[in-house]
Amino acid sequence: MTTVPPPAPGGSPTPAPATIRAQDLVKMFGPIRAVDGISFELAPGRIYGLLGPNGSGKTTLIRLLTGMGRATAGRAEVLGTAMPSRAVLARVGYMTQSDGIYPALTAGENVRFFGELYGVTDATAPEDALAVVDLADRRDAVVATLSGGQRRRLSLACALVHRPPVLFLDEPTVGVDPLLRVQFWSHFRRLADGGVTIVVSSHVMDEADRCDELLFMRSGRVIARGSGRDLRARAGTDDLEQAFLRFSGNVAATR
Amino acid sequence: MSARRVRALWRRVVAEIRRDRPSLALLFVAPILVTGLVTFILREGQTPALNALIVNQAGLPGSAIAGEIASSLRTLGDQATQATDEAAARAAVRDGSATLAIILPADLAASVTRGGAITITVLTSGLDPAGESGQLAVLGKALAAAAGQFSRSQPPVIRHTTVYGVPSSDPIAAFAPAIVGFFVYFFVYILTGVSFLRERTGGTLERLLATPVARGEIVAGYTLGFGLFATLQVALLMTWALGSLRIPALGPLPAFSIGLGIPVAGSPPIAFLVVLLLAVGAVSLGIFLSTFARTELQVLQFIPVVLAPQFLLSGVLFPINSLPAILKPLVAIMPLNYAVDGLRQVFIAGADLSNGALQEDLLVLLGVAAFFAVIASLTIRREIV
Repeated sequence: MTTVPPPAPGGSPTPAPATIRAQDLVKMFGPIRAVDGISFELAPGRIYGLLGPNGSGKTTLIRLLTGMGRATAGRAEVLGTAMPSRAVLARVGYMTQSDGIYPALTAGENVRFFGELYGVTDATAPEDALAVVDLADRRDAVVATLSGGQRRRLSLACALVHRPPVLFLDEPTVGVDPLLRVQFWSHFRRLADGGVTIVVSSHVMDEADRCDELLFMRSGRVIARGSGRDLRARAGTDDLEQAFLRFSGNVAATR
Repeated sequence: MSARRVRALWRRVVAEIRRDRPSLALLFVAPILVTGLVTFILREGQTPALNALIVNQAGLPGSAIAGEIASSLRTLGDQATQATDEAAARAAVRDGSATLAIILPADLAASVTRGGAITITVLTSGLDPAGESGQLAVLGKALAAAAGQFSRSQPPVIRHTTVYGVPSSDPIAAFAPAIVGFFVYFFVYILTGVSFLRERTGGTLERLLATPVARGEIVAGYTLGFGLFATLQVALLMTWALGSLRIPALGPLPAFSIGLGIPVAGSPPIAFLVVLLLAVGAVSLGIFLSTFARTELQVLQFIPVVLAPQFLLSGVLFPINSLPAILKPLVAIMPLNYAVDGLRQVFIAGADLSNGALQEDLLVLLGVAAFFAVIASLTIRREIV
């Protein structure tokens, strides 16, 4: 077991060995195997896409990796520490599927609040996070007056405020217009280039090609892993959706 | 009006409520529980045995009457003993070793000879006005029976005095402590319960728990936040209840006063402390119970189950000493009971922090607040599924 490196100071992005590891991870809800024996290792500086239909176990997997849930069996490790671990959470960003922001507070107050919980001491960090999602001029607007897309951006800002080396994004672009979606992804790319490990869950296949690697999920399992091009080639199709269905079919056939 | 649309609506309403099992259960169980409890209290409520001291200041003729009163009390199942003087009796009532004292005045014999009514003074503590008036009613019967032996013409006049406060000078004085305590408890619970439920349903709790925040920190933060508003609420309520700000006449406007001007014997800051500890407990109770609620409606439905029994069993409405014996152990575990008692000690008896009964109340309230804070933080699980 390795030790956790000390949290990165607010300013400079230290090249931390951001590694996510799952080992025979299982999560049962009663008789349902929401996560059914998943093992993988994710390297720093890359964007991973968890792709699968609703109910395939993407959110449950993210919750196990962020320590929100305790695995029924197996091991989830982030930055070398078994989850759940509160210490590691200071270095993990998590954008939930629902906005998870306080409607009665302003945009600035939301970002500052989460910054304080993450232990951010750098006073400029909340401002930077708002600038990144292009909300700096809306900092004093109460969330209830923001549009759906603006709330999504604010939600992302709250996940970035502590400049985490590991970032989990649960369906980040749902309800986000195409233009903003492009901005989101270019920002994710910039973060990854800076060494951040990013895990994005989505059921939108056309976003998949922006990821370095895809993990196809179905019924709580990872049924295939590889780059978009690689997966298409293996499935013998140009269409990622078709590729997913081929891999799903194989699983169904072998069961 | 379309019958079809109306039917679609009522079917939807029925289907929704049918699937909301907790609401459904409470809809039927809560009224049965509350009405059952009230009926039980009223039917099985008992008049507790009196422990009376008789002070005879009337010499020989008085001792005959004292003997009659004592034997007539004993036939009712009460205890009666002689006390040497009024000071001793007063001390016994104050420390609770006697329920009340009956004082036969020095001019008793003269009254009897004149054939007039005799006046008997009854001394109670004054801390439990409703309960004491019940005791007085019992005592009245015994006194009438005893005095009738001596003075055929007129029933005795009972003059009621209390160790603390003056009886019935202001009818609200007896109820003020209970009302202040109950409403603070009630509103702090609702405010916290609903807010924390929003935290759970709005996705922000999930996000909170994905930060390094500890569960105890969440409970502490909530307690301070809602504690602030509870403090302001209590401060305003106390000022309103106890204050009497006189506004002089101005032109056509007559003079009037703002505030209820409820008399308080003790120090308002100490009363404030009692209510504040109760409120801190209510914050944690709200967080704890929000675990079991899925909707804001369900938070409200805990009121008849959790708050109504406290209301009924903490001396707010019914005197504790007249509750059915079976319910008495429950009284001991009702946090509100300690707040109401503590407030009565301060409002009526003028207790300060050196008072043993008040210290006990404060300690219990502190313990309850700490207990529920721990329970509440345990219910905030990292595992939200």
